[in-house]
Parts: sequence; structure tokens; C-alpha cells
Amino acid sequence: MDPTLLVALVIALALFFDFTNGFHDTANAMATPIATGALRAKTAVALAAILNFIGAFLSTTVAQTISGGLIREGEDGVLITPQLILAGLIGAIVWNLVTWLFGLPSSSSHALFGGLIGAAIVGFGIGAIDGGVLVSKILIPAVLAPVTAGLVSFLATKLAFKLTNKRERRGFKVGQIFTSSLVSLAHGTNDAQKTMGVITLTLISAGLQPVGSPPELWVISACAIAIALGTYSGGWRIIKTMGRGITEIEPTQGFSAEASTAATILASSHLGFALSTTQVAAGSVIGTGLGRKGASVRWSTAGRIGLGWLVTIPSAGLVGAGAALLALLGPVGIILDVLLAGAAILTIFLISRRTRVDHRTLATPEPGAFVRPKVRKKARTGDSQ
Amino acid sequence: MIEWGSFAAVAIAALVSACLFVGLYALALRLGDGTAAWRRPVSVVLFVLCGLVVLFGLSLIVPWNHFF
Repeated sequence: MDPTLLVALVIALALFFDFTNGFHDTANAMATPIATGALRAKTAVALAAILNFIGAFLSTTVAQTISGGLIREGEDGVLITPQLILAGLIGAIVWNLVTWLFGLPSSSSHALFGGLIGAAIVGFGIGAIDGGVLVSKILIPAVLAPVTAGLVSFLATKLAFKLTNKRERRGFKVGQIFTSSLVSLAHGTNDAQKTMGVITLTLISAGLQPVGSPPELWVISACAIAIALGTYSGGWRIIKTMGRGITEIEPTQGFSAEASTAATILASSHLGFALSTTQVAAGSVIGTGLGRKGASVRWSTAGRIGLGWLVTIPSAGLVGAGAALLALLGPVGIILDVLLAGAAILTIFLISRRTRVDHRTLATPEPGAFVRPKVRKKARTGDSQ
Repeated sequence: MIEWGSFAAVAIAALVSACLFVGLYALALRLGDGTAAWRRPVSVVLFVLCGLVVLFGLSLIVPWNHFF
């Protein structure tokens, strides 16, 4: 197969992955303002899309390795070929779409790592994977992220309720717009960078770009557009789960949760202990649910989300491995791969049409939610006469 | 293997900054509500402090030296 054609295919798939990354993660920033009515659904996703677009241009450093050290890449390790990157991307995309179908907020980076791990194992055997990095950079942070964010969010929510009375709390609606915007911007700087890294390293491996050079402007622009379009299309199913499924959210909680998400993500990316945005955001929502008196957390939903995180890497890995087996057969295998991936995407899309969830269905609160019947004071009969 | 030190730093930084920000904003709302003359200016100052906290957060994700 013509190497340029293969590189073009990888770039197309990487951009599609970036798109799914965008719509998967809109919920992290915008589920809470939509749930409380601080922003209208369409306005929220448009704002998030713009901020993700800007965010993508702000970051300049791109990872030196595709897998962040998970796979022993480099001089004394293995060379991840474009075929294997293609297979890994297919695994990541398919898993991102499956979790979207079930409305599960799961980490897109984990899906990407999972897909690449599966592909690398098929290509080079299990020895290609650095188990230590897998545990210390992926598995343990996956537990620490929601717990930390949950604790921060719980305390921030308690504090916010303590300091304000009911009338003043209306002001949190405006504040929510700012905290959610900050989360969106941080997401753009973090996540678009991943796809830029994948594309740039593919171009380098194909000899189309000098080793060690930064991403080209067209790569940055394409990634920014892809993630913004994805964000704008809105993963409404995940927004529904995050905004309504875990707990009922009031403006005070939405504000505190997003402030905690932003603080945790900024601290983690600045102090060099990477935590997944999605896991931090989900933890914050649970924490804020625990922090308000009278609110309840639906642990069954939280458990489902946790289960989704647990199976993300193995599942994306299985799909990636299957795709890699085909890709290594040669050009026919690669074409078959792309066709099968297209069929899978189409199938998931068709299944999703059966139960429609979009900004219109989200606009109307579910019956019973947010409505607290007020006990009316007894009219004093003496006054009316 | 796990860098517990940097994890602790992240957890503490997140906790302190989130509580600081939420606390400032909540106090600003609280003071903006009363009738006493001194409350309003103090509330505005607190909102400005909130803005500064956000700007600090932004400065962490924007590599400024890249632009100059």
C-alpha cells in the first residue's frame, strides 16, 4: 500500500477520534450548567466548542511518545508503525462510540491507550508493554482522580452552602458559566494535543516531517476544528448521565463541582501528576451530590460508570488487537479494517437513533425533578375580613 | 513507583484553590445582598479577587513565553 495513502488514512482516523473525544467530553464542562439551567443546551455546547477551539491553539508542547511511555517506544524499544496506530485508533473510536451509546462518561485517553496497547501486543508481543507505567500512570490515578476531586468538591459544596442563604445562591448560576468555561478551555489545551501528537509522530515516522519538529500549523488547526465540531455536536447521552443521572444538581453545586474540576485539572497538569479530566469531573459531581443536605447520589449509576472505566482499556485493546491482526495482513487487511470500522460506527449510530437523546429532550426537566412542593402558609382568616 | 509526593501536592493545591475560589465567590454573594453601605464595595473586591484566581488558573495553562 502506498505509504502516503496509509498516512492519510491514519490522519483521517485520528481527526475522527479527536471528534469523538470532543463530543464525549462536552459533558465534563457543560453537563452541570445545562442541568441547572444556567445555560441553554445549545448555547452551552457552542461556548464549549469555541473554548476548546481556542484551547487547542494555546498548548505548544506535544508528547514525545504516542503512548506516553506505556509502550516501550524509541531507540531500544519498538517502532509503532502507522498500521498499528491505525488499528489502535479504530479500537479507541469504536470504544468511545460504545460508551457514548450507553451514556457513560469514560476517558478518551484511556480508550486511545487501550487501542494502542492491543495493537502493540499483536505487533510485538506482551513485552512491548511497560506494566509499571500502566499501573502507576493509568490504573492508580484512575482511582485517585475521582476520589480526590470528589473530596474537593464535597468540601467546596459544603463551604458554599454554609456561606450563603437561599436567596443569594441564585448568583451561583452566573458563576457556573465561568467555572464551566475554564474547564472547557483546559480540556481543549489538554486533549487536542493528544491527537496532534499522534498525527505529528505518524508524519515523522513516515519521513514526511523532520524528527523532533513541532506540529505543523495545519495539524494544529485541523485538530482544533475536529475537537470543536465534536464538542458542538454534544454527547447528549453523556450530558444527561453527568447532569441528571448521578445526582440532582442545583446552581450552588454546579458551581462548586466545576470549580473543583477546574482546580484539580489545573493542579494536576501543572504539578505533573496526570489525572483524567473525565474521571475528575465525574468525581466532582458525586462529591457535590454528597455535599448538599437532602441530595442523594445514585450509586447504581456511579457504579455503572466505574465499571465502564474498568473495562475501557481491555475493551478498546481487544478491538485494537483485532484491527491490528487484520492490518498486518497487508493492504487488503487495512481496507477491510477501515470498512469494518465504518460498519461498526454506522451500526452504533443506527442503534442510537432508536432512543433519541438531544438538546430538545434535555430542555424539559424530567417529571418530578427540581419540583419541591411548597407548603403554603395558612391564610389568616382575620385579615381577609 | 507512584509519585505520592506530587500526588499529595496536586490534592492539596486543588483543595486549597477550589475552596479559596468558592469561598470568595460565596462571600461576595453574601455581602452583595445586605443593605449596609460597606457591604457592596467589599463584595465587589471579593469578586475581583475571584477573577484574579481565575486569571492565575489561566496563566497555568497558557504558556505565555510562547507569545513573546
